Amino acid sequence: MRREGVTRVLAAGAAAGLAGVAACFVSGRERFWANWILWFLFLLTIGLGCLFLVALEHLVAARWSVPLRRVPERLSGLVLLMAPAALLALFSLPVLYPWTAPESLKDPLIAGKAAWLNVPFFALRVVACIGGWILGYRIFVGGSLRQDREKDPRFNVRARRFAPAFMILFGITVTVVAFDWISSLEPAWYSDVLGVYLFAGTFLAGLAATTLVVLHLMARGRLPGVGPDHVYNLGGFLFAFTVFWSYIGFSQYLLMWYANMPEEVFWYKERLEGLWGPLVLALAVLHFFVPFFVLIPRDAKSEPRRLTGVATLMLAAHWLDLYWMIFPVLGKGPLFGWPELSFAVFFISAGLLWLRRDLARGADMPMGDPFLREGLEFRL
Amino acid sequence: MGNQPFSVLGLFDSAQELMDAIRAVKGRVAGRLDAYTPYPIHGMEEALGLRKSPVGGMVFVMGLIGAISALAFELWTEGVDYPVVTAGKPVFSWQPFVPIMFEVTVLFACFTAGLGMLFLLNRLPFFRHPMLGSKSMPLITRDKFALAVEADGQDLDVAAISSALRAAGARAIEVVEQPAPLGPVSPNFLLRVAAGAGIACLAAGYLTYWGVKLFPVTVPMVHMLDQPRLDPQRADGFFKDGFGMRMPVPGTVPRGQVPFTLRGPGDAAGLGNPLPRTESVLGKGRQAFLTYCSVCHGALANGQPSMTAAYGAKPANLMSEKFRDYSDGEIYDVIIRGKNAMPSYSADLSGDECWSVVHYVRALQRALNAKDSDIPMEAPK
Repeated sequence: MRREGVTRVLAAGAAAGLAGVAACFVSGRERFWANWILWFLFLLTIGLGCLFLVALEHLVAARWSVPLRRVPERLSGLVLLMAPAALLALFSLPVLYPWTAPESLKDPLIAGKAAWLNVPFFALRVVACIGGWILGYRIFVGGSLRQDREKDPRFNVRARRFAPAFMILFGITVTVVAFDWISSLEPAWYSDVLGVYLFAGTFLAGLAATTLVVLHLMARGRLPGVGPDHVYNLGGFLFAFTVFWSYIGFSQYLLMWYANMPEEVFWYKERLEGLWGPLVLALAVLHFFVPFFVLIPRDAKSEPRRLTGVATLMLAAHWLDLYWMIFPVLGKGPLFGWPELSFAVFFISAGLLWLRRDLARGADMPMGDPFLREGLEFRL
Repeated sequence: MGNQPFSVLGLFDSAQELMDAIRAVKGRVAGRLDAYTPYPIHGMEEALGLRKSPVGGMVFVMGLIGAISALAFELWTEGVDYPVVTAGKPVFSWQPFVPIMFEVTVLFACFTAGLGMLFLLNRLPFFRHPMLGSKSMPLITRDKFALAVEADGQDLDVAAISSALRAAGARAIEVVEQPAPLGPVSPNFLLRVAAGAGIACLAAGYLTYWGVKLFPVTVPMVHMLDQPRLDPQRADGFFKDGFGMRMPVPGTVPRGQVPFTLRGPGDAAGLGNPLPRTESVLGKGRQAFLTYCSVCHGALANGQPSMTAAYGAKPANLMSEKFRDYSDGEIYDVIIRGKNAMPSYSADLSGDECWSVVHYVRALQRALNAKDSDIPMEAPK
């Protein structure tokens, strides 16, 4: 009864949000598409981070995480949900992406990238990336669900053999996402490390979402046998990758600051001046300082309440990170108004609806995995 | 001292028996509990009630100290003691400090974790742990589980502890004794030798340094004084012409100066004075005029200075009709190029200074040849 109530509230939220989104489409295309790309990337990166986590566990044949693996498996379904959103986002190219305009080729910096930045190749890359992710999803997640029924241990071998290839595929596709959807908003800009930067945020977002859902399921007794030792590993992962994200983000900034090349620094100039300055400071505090210092003590990494807070904060900070990269191209300073609110309501409600549907798929643990017992017996 | 008992060991057959025994004995005997097992047993530290390791806190504090000291050192060296502008960045830039802060933080934290654990908590150098003399050691490293009650500052009540352990199910009891002193080569002795050697090295280093500095009998280091180089105003065999100094490459232009391209007064006639007639420009012109021009032309530029008689030269009277009719550009051309006996002043005056002098000369000409109309027509009060 309560379940259906929540579903109804979410559906109503999605409908109300959709109305706002439609109103936003009518009132201004640029802001609409900026919001669209921001939210589609936000949910996509959560899903991709979870898919990466699943692949990583297969790659290193991790045992401790077997009882938790169904959670990132289900969450990576967000990639499927976002595939049509990515195809729709192709309509934003003439509105937001300056390199689609023929006169942009007069700029030698953009003309030199014309072989990469053209609409047919861009669309081809979008489709190829989605294809690669769906392939990974079918092999890892589809195979795992099938193993629930068939109890076939050969799935573990197949997944482990496929994992290294998927890692390469994942590295390339995440870089393509960063270069295409984020970097090419300002096509004159160069940053080789942006793909790694987006990966750091992606993995953190996936971990945070996984942690939240694991704690949610544990509180409802749906993960029997999973204890603080398993949660501690998730907390440790979160802790480590806050530092990784900051390391990569600061490396990019420091090198550009030092070299002071006009085709690089203008990107930071746009994103540090005016109200963006305090926003960057907030990003550093929320994305690094708060989670880092909160997670330092040993107990904090397995304590559900503190971990819930940190994981929620990480998701919000990841959103802020994407917002900071995308919204300055509108040239209007930080925008927070009814369009942003409608998009938030719509995408969060839709994502949660999708997730609720996913959480009902299959058992809560990979019941057919031969290493499930060993995973449950894991102690630090 | 004699051979004081270090601990009383009770041997058990399984991890479960050991855990039960810990629960039975804990709090009932005087002494510190410890366990020796062939493999790590989960939950053991909670059962024994071992205190949390202080290493984490030590590392955190030392890491913070590392970050702060790195930042303070960088701010002082780069911003206060020896400010160097690098790549046009402000000397107080925080950005390049961050990697060094990060590294020093990691360095302090790692050293604290490693050395703090070894020397503060594990009390190294520690040659002979009493347990190494225990007869049960071969069993404990194979299949027995030992619970030890160790002396914790006071003497052990061996009889009471033995009966408590036996009551808790111990299969065998062993009293482990403190080992006999090692003789001269003790940990203390080694530490003292190491400290002595360190102090001797420091002393030798300082003695050498001050000895060389205060008594320069021989010069071990000449601090780069003796090196092949070209000195200004000195002969040198390095170049064929025997000069150490070089002439500038033809066509070299000094920074901040526009090269002079006029070929004669005809070219210069049309040239206007680029500077405004302001007080500062006239002041600059006066300064330059008094320094370079007034020596021959006189302070009033009328060609009558005291030097003229001594040399028998006849410098131009700039107040004459002829020079009053010169255009600004023609005067400028004379300053740069020279005229008759007057040399060029292009090496002494910058372009701006030349034009300032032109302004000043014009002011003098106007002052010494004033018209009635220059006097304001106002009735005296």
